Amino acid sequence: MSTQFIFFSGKGGVGKTSMACTHAVRYADEGRRTLIVTTDPASNLADVFEQKIGHQITPVSGVSNLSAMEIDPDTATREYIDRAMAPLRAAFPPQVVKVMEEQMSGPCTAEVAAFDRFTDFIVSDKGAPDFDVVIFDTAPTGHTIRLLELPAEWSQSIATASAGSGQTCIGPAAAIQDAKRKYEHALGALRDETLATFIFVLHPEAIAIRETKRAIGELGKLEIHAFRLIINGIIPASEKANPLFAARSQMQTRYLAQIQAELPYPSQSMILLSGEIQGAARLRQVGKIFFDGEPTPVELEAARGKPVKIVTSSIEEVTARILPKGQRRTVFFAGKGGVGKTVASCMTAVWLARQGHKTLLLTTDPAAHLGDVLGQPVGDNVTVVSGQTSLWAVKIDPKAAAETYKARILGDARQRGRPESALKVMEEELESPCTEEMAAFDQFIDYASQSQWDAMVFDTAPTGHTMRLLELPMDWSQQIDVKVFASVEGNAADNVAKQRFGKVIEMMRDQEQSTFAFVMYPESTPVLEAWRASQELATVGIHTGLVVANFVIPPEQVTPFARARRAMQVKYLAEIRERFAVPVLEIPLLPQEVKGLEMLVEIGVLAYGNESRLPSLKPKDWNQK
Amino acid sequence: MTPVPNTLSTSIAPPDVELFDPPMCCPTGLCGPALDQLLLDVNEMIMSLQRENLHVERYQMSSNSGAFLGNAEVMKLLGEKQMEALPIIVVRGKVIKVGAYPTLDEIKANLNGANV
Repeated sequence: MSTQFIFFSGKGGVGKTSMACTHAVRYADEGRRTLIVTTDPASNLADVFEQKIGHQITPVSGVSNLSAMEIDPDTATREYIDRAMAPLRAAFPPQVVKVMEEQMSGPCTAEVAAFDRFTDFIVSDKGAPDFDVVIFDTAPTGHTIRLLELPAEWSQSIATASAGSGQTCIGPAAAIQDAKRKYEHALGALRDETLATFIFVLHPEAIAIRETKRAIGELGKLEIHAFRLIINGIIPASEKANPLFAARSQMQTRYLAQIQAELPYPSQSMILLSGEIQGAARLRQVGKIFFDGEPTPVELEAARGKPVKIVTSSIEEVTARILPKGQRRTVFFAGKGGVGKTVASCMTAVWLARQGHKTLLLTTDPAAHLGDVLGQPVGDNVTVVSGQTSLWAVKIDPKAAAETYKARILGDARQRGRPESALKVMEEELESPCTEEMAAFDQFIDYASQSQWDAMVFDTAPTGHTMRLLELPMDWSQQIDVKVFASVEGNAADNVAKQRFGKVIEMMRDQEQSTFAFVMYPESTPVLEAWRASQELATVGIHTGLVVANFVIPPEQVTPFARARRAMQVKYLAEIRERFAVPVLEIPLLPQEVKGLEMLVEIGVLAYGNESRLPSLKPKDWNQK
Repeated sequence: MTPVPNTLSTSIAPPDVELFDPPMCCPTGLCGPALDQLLLDVNEMIMSLQRENLHVERYQMSSNSGAFLGNAEVMKLLGEKQMEALPIIVVRGKVIKVGAYPTLDEIKANLNGANV
């Protein structure tokens, strides 16, 4: 029988990895040879299985028939380069080979290489004949879709290239013919409902529903149609006694009805657990709850631990990292998907604007829902946020950025009097999959260089992709350094680019100008992921200045379930303080989703204090709206 | 070591103009962080030669290594000067420029010279 492929998809923080691992353990226990693979550059598989995994197929201890692998973009790139360079090593002088390798190590190759490794698993002849089931714990929605779109785009760009100039940005032409077959084959497998299933994990919440619908629509365009849903985080019936959870439960009931009406796919639900999901034994227990409908135990172990005292940072310590100090302040909110980066960004930007600072709020997340939280559309051009003076917002959308970039380059070429035939070749080359990333990066640098703002707040994409974006100025600077050939004019253009990147690098490194704020909820994986990212940024001289702990359950809780969850959080709140020696801003779990300016103003005041320069607000009870 | 054979069949006439490029992401440099107008000029020059029905070939070291290996003089220059040798421009089998792109006039002069 052919290998089955199961893709777990959905917005970050919905329990994708937990559900993927629960399925993996269950299938393996049923005797099917199972492999779980993650394509998320900030993978949490190792945390869930409590063992080292990494960039090779690794047996999972305690579960026979189960192996796991974390695709590492850097290793995938090295492997890809090694494969491409192998035939050339013997033939060319060693120094020449070295320069070629440096050239190939550019950012463009990394994207291709990671994707290439991913398709290796799907193309059965090279892929995974040793497995009955391959489970992909994929990266969050927007990026997943982009990844899946690539085979179509690349096939096209390969076809155009061989018809036209015969060159593409993707790599050696001969290898590309193989790649085209491979990608078509992979896409064929994804489209085959007997081979591939896409499972969307979502919370019963407005944004998750919208995102799932959009993702299903996008996959539908790629002729992928086999979908299932897992609705996760259902608040147990016992929590009716708890006003906070009762309010959230009511909200869930509304959204469950909406899911039934608008997402007519086979679906299963999973109850919110009071403890974390880690280790094979726990995954088996979760499997019994999910697959066999066994009742959920309340995990009291955490609650029995010795009491931890929480030191809270003062509002002054926190606002010192947010307010501009005689020059522009740039705040980057980063972290795992679903931790509340967008809410933290919006609330901070609104608060800054209300302090009288001219503020720009931007998102670099292709699956951005900035507009949903602000309660008004946010487009590709900087626009005033209506209802809030001093606040502007904009979204960096890679597709739109690529169009603008192409238009600018072609417009410039036209002005220089280049003939239409030359423009046509340029247009072809700009169809390369690298253009989108290049263009989005270019816009990022553009905004990051603007001096007309007092404050700038970045709502970033999930960790792995953000790390890549932030490290691109360094990578491109290096690429310019290893460039073999440039004309005098080309050299001048390189210098301009290098200076431009240099300024942004300097800005990001200066804690007087920039604050890197990691957002997380107090649980193991978000804390670990943020910690690793913060360590990695430190190696390039960028230091974390603030931590936002989100969805914090207030101390006074009556039900055992809520007490158990609170106890678990308290443990991680202490760990956060210990790991990150920076001010911590706590945002409580709210009875409803954050949406609209009014709510943002309220929670902004809750977080950063009363507004000194403005007349005090009349308290508004948005809870009852 | 056994010599790697030239992948091009010897029965086919060699191209009129051959450009042995330095390694780069793409021949127009459009996928890099900064544009080099000269590379765009080179592209246009090639197109105008092609319009005159001249056979022009452009080689990338990584994807057309056979073309490099099949040209002893190119390999010799590469061995001596390393990357500084590139680009190497060959007109009707004869190296006319090393380490820089020629102008259209330079190429034409060489083509005419070769015709005499």
